[in-house]
Amino acid sequence: MSGYSLGIKELDDRIGEIREGTNIMMIGPPMSGKDEIINSIIYNGLKNEESAVVVSTRDPGERIFDWFSQHSLDIEDSHIGIVDCVTKTLGMGAVDTDKIKRASSPVDLTGIGVKISQFFDEFLMKKNIQEMRLCINSLSTILMYSNIQTVFRFLHVFTGRVKAANALGIYVVEDEMHDPQTIATLKQLFDGMIEIKSSDDDFLLRVVGLTPKPTPWFDYEIDGVNFTMKECE
Amino acid sequence: MIQTGISKLDGYLKGGIPYGKSLIYYTSPGVEGNVFGMHTLYHNLSAGKKCVFVASSSNPQAIRDVFREFGWDLNDFSERLFIVDAYSSLVGSISKEKYVVVDPENIDSISNMLRKVMEELDESVIIIFESLSTVMDLCGEKETLAAIENWNKYGMVYDNVLIYNFTAWPYQRDTLEAIKHELFDAVITVGGIAERVIFGQYFGVLNANWSDIPPKSMLFRVLRPGGIRIFIPKILVTGPFDAGKSTFVHALSTRAVSVDRVGTTVALDHGHLDYKGFSADIFGTPGQERFDPIIKMLSGEAMGIFLVVDSTVPKDFVRAKHMLDITKAQGLPLVVVANKQDLSNALKPEEIRVHFNIPANVPIVPAVAAKGEGVFEAFDTLIEKITEVA
Repeated sequence: MSGYSLGIKELDDRIGEIREGTNIMMIGPPMSGKDEIINSIIYNGLKNEESAVVVSTRDPGERIFDWFSQHSLDIEDSHIGIVDCVTKTLGMGAVDTDKIKRASSPVDLTGIGVKISQFFDEFLMKKNIQEMRLCINSLSTILMYSNIQTVFRFLHVFTGRVKAANALGIYVVEDEMHDPQTIATLKQLFDGMIEIKSSDDDFLLRVVGLTPKPTPWFDYEIDGVNFTMKECE
Repeated sequence: MIQTGISKLDGYLKGGIPYGKSLIYYTSPGVEGNVFGMHTLYHNLSAGKKCVFVASSSNPQAIRDVFREFGWDLNDFSERLFIVDAYSSLVGSISKEKYVVVDPENIDSISNMLRKVMEELDESVIIIFESLSTVMDLCGEKETLAAIENWNKYGMVYDNVLIYNFTAWPYQRDTLEAIKHELFDAVITVGGIAERVIFGQYFGVLNANWSDIPPKSMLFRVLRPGGIRIFIPKILVTGPFDAGKSTFVHALSTRAVSVDRVGTTVALDHGHLDYKGFSADIFGTPGQERFDPIIKMLSGEAMGIFLVVDSTVPKDFVRAKHMLDITKAQGLPLVVVANKQDLSNALKPEEIRVHFNIPANVPIVPAVAAKGEGVFEAFDTLIEKITEVA
């Protein structure tokens, strides 16, 4: 088994292969394109015949499939599993499908954990897909309903499961929504960060912790899964 | 006494749970332990009993929807089911339930509502907590532990049965110890069988103070519809020709049968074992290459593998490794049985590890299957690996 890549050429060139079992926090300000970035990272994995488990705390599961359709991206449906933490909270009585399992609410960490484990079992053991990505978008929503100690315990378990499964974990956090202590606590659980910051009218992006030195900051534009990256001075 | 509705568990509990007692389903994260409480609730509603469900991480409608996934319609029991809504206030939504906890982050608010329910119902009821861990997350560990003692005391006074679903996140050690050994009359552990991922689930009685119950464990599956179902696993025994697989299966099994010709297995060995509370079916494969297609068929849905090797024939180790590949059992718990250790030229387990290039996390157990030596040690080792939670 080889390592993972993000599918963003300029970053992959700098950081090389990401080793199995790595957990990465993606942190950035609102409206900085984090959804697009995480979706493109998922797409990159699916394109390489990996599987993806996506925990969605802001959008119903169907929206994620819609995003791929809207960008004319052909994905292997049987390789993706979504844990939808939204639909039941809205009182919509949608039932589970093969691709979408619905947790009761973002508070229901027990239910979210069970559904993640079921998808892990399905992809790794039943379908024999050895490479897998877990994406939680976003931890900030979970932190709205549960305190940091609770979320830390949850992540402590599931970052461990990602390591055990030789998977790649990516966890989205909204910057400016949490106090520095909360961010510092979360950082302990991750091997690296995709960091996004605003600069004048643009957003800049870099990777920290996966190589001895952080990558340079990149100015970026996203169109679907296509990135235009420009290294900053 | 009430029943849990899970027949094997009721058997372990000597018939069920006496009135006035408390029981907790103590579940590893990622395992479907919460279904046990739901199963027990529905079973007792169906049996005509009055029940209370304390919702702490889902709104009541979502709870009814989840029950419906199991084929259980709670609307049939609206006269006998009371939901204590300790969730809606948390997310600012309006509850239609009669009993609503105003401040789910305040343990006193929950305690007051529970006492009110018990007083108003004023008869023996079954009270089931959707998620004690969520209560603990919201209200604090110490505060919740103190409150549980009072809830259980009230339960005893009113002759209720209190049942808690609990996910054992990495709380403080003292908290977990108190939950496992001090606060409840019975503790049922619900765990996962894991290698790289959880791929099977089991429950066991850790303790129950109304009866001397030996440690028992059982694998289960959750069916939708249906709920909890006991699951008997398949364990595969494979290895090269004449390594002693059939002998191993027979030595290990309570009863066994082989499909063989002139002493050589040509189809399979099958044994059944009841040992230390585990019930297992053992399937042995043939060893000759011409029967390799059978190995593939036999290995489907195996929960663990014994690879039996003749410790005196290192040239067969390559064949053994190939047989392992044929099983397509990558990621399954594996124990290597170094058989025929009583022979003078037998390689020691660590020598086999080097010859065979066996990873350090795969146990090698020395055995003399013909004399029954080492076979149960091998079984203990495999079960330990199978029931290990990642």
